[in-house]
Amino acid sequence: MVQFVLRRLLIAIPMLLGAMSIVFFAMRILPGDPCVAMMGEQATTSALADCTRNLGLHRPVAVQYVDYLWRSLQFDFGNSLRQGYPVSQYIGRMFPHTFVLVMASAVVAALVGIPIGIVSALKRRNPLVDYPLRIFALLGLSMPVFWLGILLLILFSLRLDVFPLIGGGDLDGVLSMLASGEVFKYPGDFFAAVTDVLYHLTLPAIALGFTLAATVSRLSRSAMLEVISQDYIRTARAKGQAERNVVYKHALRNMMVPLLTIIGVFIAIALTGTVLTETVFTRPGLGKMLVDAIGARDYPLAQGAITVFTMIIIFVNLVVDMLYAVVDPRISFR
Amino acid sequence: MAIARRAEPVDLPVPVHAEAARAPGRRHLRRWLPIVIGAVMAAAMVIVAAAAPWIAPLSPSAQFSDAVLKGPGVVERHALGTDEYGRDILSRVIWGARVSLQVGLASVLFAFLIGVPLGIYAGYQGKRAEVAIMRGTDMLMAFPTLLLALIIVAALGGSLINEIVAIGVALTPNFVRLARGLTLTIRETDYVMAARGIGAGQLRVMARHVFPNALYGLIVVATLYIATAIRTEAGLSFLGLGVPPPTATWGNILSEGRQYIKCCPWITTFSGLAIMMAVLAFNIVGDALRDLLDPRLRGE
Repeated sequence: MVQFVLRRLLIAIPMLLGAMSIVFFAMRILPGDPCVAMMGEQATTSALADCTRNLGLHRPVAVQYVDYLWRSLQFDFGNSLRQGYPVSQYIGRMFPHTFVLVMASAVVAALVGIPIGIVSALKRRNPLVDYPLRIFALLGLSMPVFWLGILLLILFSLRLDVFPLIGGGDLDGVLSMLASGEVFKYPGDFFAAVTDVLYHLTLPAIALGFTLAATVSRLSRSAMLEVISQDYIRTARAKGQAERNVVYKHALRNMMVPLLTIIGVFIAIALTGTVLTETVFTRPGLGKMLVDAIGARDYPLAQGAITVFTMIIIFVNLVVDMLYAVVDPRISFR
Repeated sequence: MAIARRAEPVDLPVPVHAEAARAPGRRHLRRWLPIVIGAVMAAAMVIVAAAAPWIAPLSPSAQFSDAVLKGPGVVERHALGTDEYGRDILSRVIWGARVSLQVGLASVLFAFLIGVPLGIYAGYQGKRAEVAIMRGTDMLMAFPTLLLALIIVAALGGSLINEIVAIGVALTPNFVRLARGLTLTIRETDYVMAARGIGAGQLRVMARHVFPNALYGLIVVATLYIATAIRTEAGLSFLGLGVPPPTATWGNILSEGRQYIKCCPWITTFSGLAIMMAVLAFNIVGDALRDLLDPRLRGE
């Protein structure tokens, strides 16, 4: 087990380095001087020289590269060109917004996707059940999250006026009340702030969650199919267990093991989804920050955002692999 | 590794249930109907894209100052309404199909042409070549498709070719993984042994024996990735990182229409519908082909 964890860690390190190198070289080596891009073709030579020096671009690429890797590991991504303050501070402020969105949409996706996957696996011989569920899964896979988001905004924000059009709610307020302990002093205010956050979170979470639910339903369908063909299910049936018991007591629990492995993939898809979702709903977050940074040619900010995205994905996959080895000890011996 | 699991459906031991006791005619219909529906939809998209200059009622960039932000059918010549410059939405959506399908098909072709030889080589050779290729693939796979495409487009700038390259590169690792997975199975078959036995060279075995036998699986997945590529293209355009306006792309139309969702929801509705139909068409074809050609891949 310890050996497995160590080996998995050793694989994750070069992967992280490689992924970070891709980010670095994509931002530096590919055509286009960031300073010219930022300041325009008319920028004076001295202004460009200043900019180059501020970004550290006058140094040899190898030095820049090592510096970038070293500082990234300390979460030091330099200063944002447009906002002035440190990128890490910016990322720290945006991260909770993206985190709650990913979590909320994961809940939506699980609540919608897992039951659909199970039902469609168990009732796959019944076309009246199977077909509508398959069509749902196909629609979910095919519907771009930004379009679904706009449709939800048109219906619920503009026509029915039940949910807000933009913003992410007072998440900062919630966090600072939690941190300072004011939550006990003013529970009423705290709940108001939490409600506000949820109010702003509902539509984005539904939009992202629905598109993810399709993937989840397919994966849980195949997980369920795999489990119900196992010998112990046949044994349970053979000893006369009611089908209900077979499904709930034997199949469901075992189905969760293969499902666990997809959490890594799921988080990767969800994180990418936040880029589009946050843009559609004009919500603060890492995804919107990245798009804005690219649009504004704020290279340190964009680079920092992408690096953090990559780190999260690799880290989540690492954790999932280890969880999987804990749940299913056979894995660590392979 | 969990990251690796994304595109390796070949070794999923999903049980195949015989569809017993079903009339052969109905089974036939059940198998072929989705393919026909999907193929017709996809073919219609391709035809619309190819014939855009003849089908589109108006020029996609022509501005009609007398018909700004008019709803569908309000002005007779604009069946799906107009946008903020008085441009015809129907014509723009028809022309938008060109960009989407060009990017969708070309980027998958790009990924196929680069990824498949690498994957077959890695799977067939094994050893150091495999380790090197697969580690590189793992690194690229740490990035979700849209994120990787976004990084590349951000670095190269938005244009049709750059979008194709960006999405193509982002999809390549998936083809490498799949081709390698298939090759590992094919490598062990008797006919490959036989070919080697009669003295066929490595290149010949890979090109004449491994590749044709991997082709089915690869085509199925390629079809599904066309859907992914179209969705990614729309996403990039929507974020303002695709082919820049005023070129009509579905993502551009949707993004421009976003500011007018209160008064004029038709702009976003029709462009979004077009994206969904195109993605849906290729998803249906890919799913149905997979069920038909390779029962092992079913249910993934």
